[in-house]
Amino acid sequence: MSSLKRQGLIRIVLSVLLILSLYLLSAATENSARFGRLYIWLLLLNGVVLVALVGLILNNIWQLLRSVHARETGSRLTLKLMGLFVVLAVVPGLIVYSFSMQFLQRGVDSWFDVRIENALDDALALSQAALDQRMRDMRQRLEEAAAELSDVDAGMAPVTLGDLRARTGASELALLGENGRIIAASSVDTGDFLPHRPEDGVLLQLRQGRPYVGLDPIENAGLHIRALVPAPGPEGPSNTRVLQGLFPVSPRINDLADEVETAFSEYRELAYLRGPLNDSFSLTLSLVLLLSLLFAVWSAFYLARRLVAPVSRLAEGTRAMASGQYGTQLQPGGNDELGSLVRSFNDMSRRVAEVRDAARHSQALVESQRAYLETVLGRLSSGVLALAPDGTLRTFNEAASAILSVPLAEGVNRPLVDLAEPYPHFRPFAELLEQHRQISTAEWRAELSLDTSEGRRALMCSGAVLPGEEENGGDVIVFDDVTALIQAQRDAAWGEVARRLAHEIRNPLTPIQLSAERLQHKVGTRLDGDEAALLARSTQTIIHQVEVMKDMVQAFSEYARPPTLSPQAVELNALVQDVVELYRGEGVEPDLRLELADDLPVLQADPGRLRQLLNNLIRNALEAAEGARCEVTITTACGTGRHADKVELEIQDNGPGFAEDMLSQLFEPYVSTKPRGSGLGLAIVKKIVEEHNGMISARNTDGGARISVRLPRVIAADERTGDRE
Amino acid sequence: MAFIMRVLRNTERWWAGLVILLGVLAGMGQAQAFEVDDLSARVDGELLMADARIDYDLSDTATEALENGVPLVIRQTLVLERPRWWWRDVQLASHERAYRLQYHAMSRRYVLTWLANGESRSYRSLDALLATLGQIEGWPVVRQARLEAGRDYRLGVQTALDLDALPRLLRTVAYVDGDWQLASQTRYAKVNP
Repeated sequence: MSSLKRQGLIRIVLSVLLILSLYLLSAATENSARFGRLYIWLLLLNGVVLVALVGLILNNIWQLLRSVHARETGSRLTLKLMGLFVVLAVVPGLIVYSFSMQFLQRGVDSWFDVRIENALDDALALSQAALDQRMRDMRQRLEEAAAELSDVDAGMAPVTLGDLRARTGASELALLGENGRIIAASSVDTGDFLPHRPEDGVLLQLRQGRPYVGLDPIENAGLHIRALVPAPGPEGPSNTRVLQGLFPVSPRINDLADEVETAFSEYRELAYLRGPLNDSFSLTLSLVLLLSLLFAVWSAFYLARRLVAPVSRLAEGTRAMASGQYGTQLQPGGNDELGSLVRSFNDMSRRVAEVRDAARHSQALVESQRAYLETVLGRLSSGVLALAPDGTLRTFNEAASAILSVPLAEGVNRPLVDLAEPYPHFRPFAELLEQHRQISTAEWRAELSLDTSEGRRALMCSGAVLPGEEENGGDVIVFDDVTALIQAQRDAAWGEVARRLAHEIRNPLTPIQLSAERLQHKVGTRLDGDEAALLARSTQTIIHQVEVMKDMVQAFSEYARPPTLSPQAVELNALVQDVVELYRGEGVEPDLRLELADDLPVLQADPGRLRQLLNNLIRNALEAAEGARCEVTITTACGTGRHADKVELEIQDNGPGFAEDMLSQLFEPYVSTKPRGSGLGLAIVKKIVEEHNGMISARNTDGGARISVRLPRVIAADERTGDRE
Repeated sequence: MAFIMRVLRNTERWWAGLVILLGVLAGMGQAQAFEVDDLSARVDGELLMADARIDYDLSDTATEALENGVPLVIRQTLVLERPRWWWRDVQLASHERAYRLQYHAMSRRYVLTWLANGESRSYRSLDALLATLGQIEGWPVVRQARLEAGRDYRLGVQTALDLDALPRLLRTVAYVDGDWQLASQTRYAKVNP
């Protein structure tokens, strides 16, 4: 813009200079006395300006064409405006020019008239004819005088000449010798002693014997008739003397002839000057027009650019807006409509930017709220589900997926029942929710037991209708996995029972055993025969059964004992191989297959407890075989998904599997399907797993029963407090 | 259309004139229309006199103008200088003579008028007039007493058509038209008193 303004200023200065120069040029044409010599320089200057303007215009055209070719913004509009301006400037200019030239031509020509010219020619010819007659008379007079001089020698000549001059009426008579040398002269004007010597051509003519007569305009004396005739002297015709006479024309004729001559001369001069006049006016006019037109064309570039500049800026600004650069501000300029358009554009752009910023801000706010809610929901140990009014799943938290053992992400925006197809254990839950949704009670509570792949789970559900714009904004369901809680309560109860039982039973066992031994010792020696054998058998049975009961009590007390872990780095694979080795070479050798993962990480666990866990599990599997050929597969693997920080251990047998009604209480003490056993094996296994913050689950498969254990790699301090996810 | 062509033709002529003028300005020179053929100085009594012969060759344009009644003024200038190698020459004397040439239609004669005193003579032909004009005899330059013996002086004669004396309408044309640039170079002659 500043460049354009500067250019504008330069143009104004240049145009003032140009106008001044053109004024001087025309002044020089009009009045050469003042600017005469300046005219050349003005012409030169204007010529240079002309060439410079042509150069500038060509340069501008080249630039414009290049920018049009490069499809620069506004270049086409500039070209159009440019063309318009040029047409607007050039066409009227040329029309005015053509008319001016015509008027000039006609105007100058109209001063001249063929008839006047002819009349003047005729007047001149007439005057000459009139004078011709007089000239012949004068020549005759002079010839007569010359004849009288034929016998007059040089000495007498002045006297005779004076006499002859008076008689002939000449104003001057001169007798000239050879080569025009004056022999004698007589003049009316006594001050003028020396008559004019005739020019060589005339003398030559006389020497050939031909007299001369002609008009001679003499300054300040008017028109005279000069006649020269040969005047042979007394020496004979060989002597080439010449008599020259100057005769005045009568004043009346002189005045008339002078007037005719003046008028004729002036007219001829004017007629002759018509050409130069035309030329100089045409040149000046052409130069003025050419310079003005070129300047106009040159300025048209500037004007077109200046007009197009805000439009170009607007176009660029609009393009920027379209490409998403909101808030683009254009340089404001001018108080005209274009300026107000630019201002409006700037307002619009600023407002769009403000709206965008506000939208961004609120979006960020929503995002942060969402993130906050997600974090809160994510950290909740309770599962949370939100259902749309039509019963489709809207949102959920991680805990919900974990508790339900269903990837809820698959069911988003779908009815919950759809998830029951691939995950059958999910059906009761889905049906419960559907049921309550149908009734659409404001708030409800229910307990539910789910048989998930990770074991049976007890859920405590509560639901509420969400407020919404319509009557029903959907439902929110919060549920907790209370399995652990119930289990813990049950475990605590069993622990207490076991501890009391152990205490109550252990106390009388030793006296019973001691009493039986003493009975054997004291009484056995006194009896004999069958009685002694009966006593010995009975006391033996008592002692044996007491031992059994002591073992049982020991088992109970161990079960009730609080965990005392000593965790250290354990390689689970090595431990499994170690334990399995003990079972090799037994009576009925079990078929133990190991599928151990290669890249199993090292666990932080109590190796002794883990060994007990493995023993219990393997023994449980062996016992389940019920005498048939036992096949046990032990698998270790790294956890995946949300169990990525855990190590998995699975033991699969080929037995008949667990009874369906037993599955929910499998890990409780004194729950056993086997005729033998204390009923504490799996209960202890579960206790060990829980001590390590692990998870255990059991389910029947096609080929028998499978028990899965997940152990965390590290027993986190907070996890040991039992804060389950 | 015709007038445009005429203008264009004129313009071309003007441009040609301009180019010629540029040439003159650049000092490249051109064939001189007037030429001082001979120049000599002599002492007559107390005066230093100059004799010169100038060849006047009027261009056709100028002759045409003259025959159409346009009076022409020719100026002859004479200078006496003492050259100085270290500074501008000292000008001891400078004289100018102006003559008017005119065609008298009634008498069909060419009139030469000495503008200094109005004395005029007429000639049957232009050549006769120019021959007379070109004959300078005994033009007094300076008193001989002003000249120092043993010094070098130089006499210069130059002649030119006076464009400023042309009719107003013709002047602008004459300034740029080469045909009107009628002048001689200054011819110098040594003077040894």
